[in-house]
Amino acid sequence: MKKVCFFSTIACVVLSFSVQAQSPLSGFMNGKGKGTFAVSHSFERYDEVLLVPNDAKGVPVFEEVTINSSSLYASYGLSDRFDVVLGLPYIKTEGNASQTVLNELGYENERSGVQDLSMFVKYNPLSLELGESRLHFIVGAGLKTPLGDYKVDEGLQSILAIGNRATSFNGLAIAQLQTSSGVFLTTQAGYSLRNNEVPNALMGEIKVGYAGSRFYADVWYAGQVSDGGVNILAEGFVGFFPATDVTYNRAGLNVYVPIVGGFGVSGGVSQYLSGRNIGKSTGFSGSLVYSF
Amino acid sequence: MFLNHKFLSLALYAVLFFGITSCNKDDDSTIPTIASIAVTNSDFSTLEAAAVQGGVAVILSNPNAGDPSGDYTVFAPNNAAFARLGLNTGDDLAVLNDAFLTSTLLYHVSNGNLEGESIVAGSTSASALGPDRRFIQRDGDTYINGSKILATDVKAENGTVHVIDKVLLATGADIVQSALALKDAKVFVVPELSFLVEALIYADLVGALVAAPGSPSFTVFAPTDAAFKQLGVDLGVALEVPADIRKLPKETIAAVLLNHVVADGGKFTSEMSDNTVMPLGGTALTLGAFTNGVLSVKGKTNAIVANMVIPDVQTTNGIVHVIDRVLLP
Repeated sequence: MKKVCFFSTIACVVLSFSVQAQSPLSGFMNGKGKGTFAVSHSFERYDEVLLVPNDAKGVPVFEEVTINSSSLYASYGLSDRFDVVLGLPYIKTEGNASQTVLNELGYENERSGVQDLSMFVKYNPLSLELGESRLHFIVGAGLKTPLGDYKVDEGLQSILAIGNRATSFNGLAIAQLQTSSGVFLTTQAGYSLRNNEVPNALMGEIKVGYAGSRFYADVWYAGQVSDGGVNILAEGFVGFFPATDVTYNRAGLNVYVPIVGGFGVSGGVSQYLSGRNIGKSTGFSGSLVYSF
Repeated sequence: MFLNHKFLSLALYAVLFFGITSCNKDDDSTIPTIASIAVTNSDFSTLEAAAVQGGVAVILSNPNAGDPSGDYTVFAPNNAAFARLGLNTGDDLAVLNDAFLTSTLLYHVSNGNLEGESIVAGSTSASALGPDRRFIQRDGDTYINGSKILATDVKAENGTVHVIDKVLLATGADIVQSALALKDAKVFVVPELSFLVEALIYADLVGALVAAPGSPSFTVFAPTDAAFKQLGVDLGVALEVPADIRKLPKETIAAVLLNHVVADGGKFTSEMSDNTVMPLGGTALTLGAFTNGVLSVKGKTNAIVANMVIPDVQTTNGIVHVIDRVLLP
């Protein structure tokens, strides 16, 4: 059974957990006793806000919003078929309002803090051989919950909130086709049950990539559809952003290169394409990865 | 075969969900709320900043709980309208007292849907703030107070928006109280009309301009503090602080003040033309041509005309036009 993804397998696990990718889980398993740690930094910026029915050019109050996020990831294979995955980001969101406007409104141009802890398990119950390729089926389940005491109920100041303070239970189904050339295709779908007035959401992602011995690259297209929620500045909106219907499509790509020992680095870009109640961000990320 | 395997169908579901996430809900049929129009239309960026600072953005996102129709009618000043008052950005709005900003915004709002074709010249419309607005027809255009209506019937989810070329201003108080509000920084954060208030007190004319049941309404041309300081320069008598007004004889000040008050029931710029008007003092004032919503005013012995810096301020007993020179009889 030829392994098609060598040291980059580990990166594959981690990369999919980076802030840039949509889904917290990838279609690759660690393998028993193997794991990864990673430190990741991402940067997103937007000045256009996707709203219903028309978009706003220029973020109300803050003009332009920048989000810097530093995250820790860990992943470990308890068996060949069972992984645990953990992640914790620290996020700083900044606006660009003038001091005069900030004084008028009693606002600040920054909100930062430890955000939500994610804890996932992945189970690979079945893998099939299709000629020289393999088809893996994976199911994942996880909990995401706020760890920091960040605020989300400060009216329009919470345009800069670093999260939505929902605790969510997430279920995912993943199918990954790995060819002997290293090219792979992953599709996944999931559902997230969320509390705190944040609507539940359906998530999906499709990714195609190459996992080789010298490098790894992928392109992905992902989306979320919220099941309910209000639209910003529309009926039912009371200035509480977590209750909004955040629905979007985004796409991006990642590249990972192993350096030495178990270390490697990755970089990625992403772009929101369409949606509502969200900033149309462009994002960049980089990670330092150690795998064992 | 594996094609029938239930786990394979999971993968197909994944692709299906992917398809679902990539298709948008039908947003094309949604019309924006009044708040959404202000935020997403670049012609209303100053109004957006005003609505945010005035605390009315959420109110105007929702139906009108105070009206069976659930609708508001808003006469919305565009960016050029705000620019006339020197208000171009969110920063500039900081010169306005917060409570006054909110009141001013509410003066542009009324309950229900007033469609453009239902606007009747000569009729009035009560505002959400309380004071009425008046509709005026002139040269084929319709005005609300002194503001020309540029466009009508922009449909919103929660009402109707009409676009106007001047910010509507109403103090909800009489002429004297309005001048005091400006002096006490309740309108602009920097006091204004301080000299005028001091002069009115000095010349014992406060009573004439206070509203009482049955009292007349006036058109008042109110010179700014800078205008009085300039008068000092012109007369060679330094008028540095309002109390300096008392350096001049009381009769002189009374005559000058009476030159600024016309007992015509109170007229907006939209109701004024280039002719002469007779103030209480008895010496005629000359008005210039009605151009771009304002007119110049000249006292008999002024060498230079006075321009309106803030026209069409509605009070309970008349209309005040703030001008940049003192009118001399």
